[in-house]
Amino acid sequence: MNEAWEQATASPMFGIALSIAMFSLGTFASRKIRSPLVNPLLIGIAFTILFLQLTGIPLENYQQGGDVISLFLGPATAALALSIYRQLEALKKNLLPVLCGCLAGCLASMGSVLLLCRLFGLDKALTASLLPKSVTTPIAMELSRQAGGVVPITVAMVVVTGILGAVTAPLLLRLFRVKDPIAAGVGLGACSHAVGTAKALELGEMEGAMSGISLSLSGILTVFLSFLYPLFL
Amino acid sequence: MKVIGQVGIFFAICLAGEFLSALLPLPVPGSILALAILFALLLCGALKPAHIGEKSDFLLQNMAFFFLPAGVGILEQASLLWENLIPLLVVCAVSTVATFGASAGTVKLVLYLQRRARHE
Repeated sequence: MNEAWEQATASPMFGIALSIAMFSLGTFASRKIRSPLVNPLLIGIAFTILFLQLTGIPLENYQQGGDVISLFLGPATAALALSIYRQLEALKKNLLPVLCGCLAGCLASMGSVLLLCRLFGLDKALTASLLPKSVTTPIAMELSRQAGGVVPITVAMVVVTGILGAVTAPLLLRLFRVKDPIAAGVGLGACSHAVGTAKALELGEMEGAMSGISLSLSGILTVFLSFLYPLFL
Repeated sequence: MKVIGQVGIFFAICLAGEFLSALLPLPVPGSILALAILFALLLCGALKPAHIGEKSDFLLQNMAFFFLPAGVGILEQASLLWENLIPLLVVCAVSTVATFGASAGTVKLVLYLQRRARHE
């Protein structure tokens, strides 16, 4: 019995089944409790960790299946191309403000992270993990890995940043006196990627479309800016 | 068959992205190059959104799920996380506000300048 259990949990099926179960639990919770704080991914990660800790199943066993799921990150990033393409008309109409806004956001994100990391005396690896944290996870993960960051820390910080932006969105809009839907959408997409975009969609269709463009554009601009990382690390 | 074909298109594009990434002297992730290739194919009309719609929507709508294993990896870095928790959270919070302010503020400014230029 015990041996069969050990064999089963060592197969990739275990990690895949556990991930799907825990993510479904997170999705269910976020539908019941409508608050950006209850994020399906965050809850899914927490419950998966809790399950592994309680059962004592080693992380390597889980990662057998986890690696299969991670395989889809590449295609998922590429699929963003279609979402930019679908918003091409809205982008063409507001190209200059959107482009300038995204660039300013990326520079502000990189600058503020560098400054604060120096201030706190965080080491190279942590700084590299934090630098790409405002962009969408697949891009942030790759940039962090290439700059010598700790990828799981990056994933956690990207999720935290997304949630922070979405939760404080009404406050941020008031603080910076943003009434224009384009400015609101671009701002949320630039600072809080997909989680911010989900919030922007709640504000309105224009906000959502602009936020979607901003999240993709900011991701790509950050890839270009990442060529500068070695200068600071 | 339809969806299998779409999956095939995606993996072929990703493969091309990995190939380009290995070729380029700059550190651009293969997945970003795959995004660029797919976007170029859509722009020049070689691929229509209908060709890849179902697979794309499956990937886009379930995007968050694919990050779960990467996030669970934090288990290995738990001590690093707890030791630096406060600085990490402060960096996140401050830079989120700064990023929002800079991008939204810039959009407001450019829109204002464009409108003024049009009125003159």
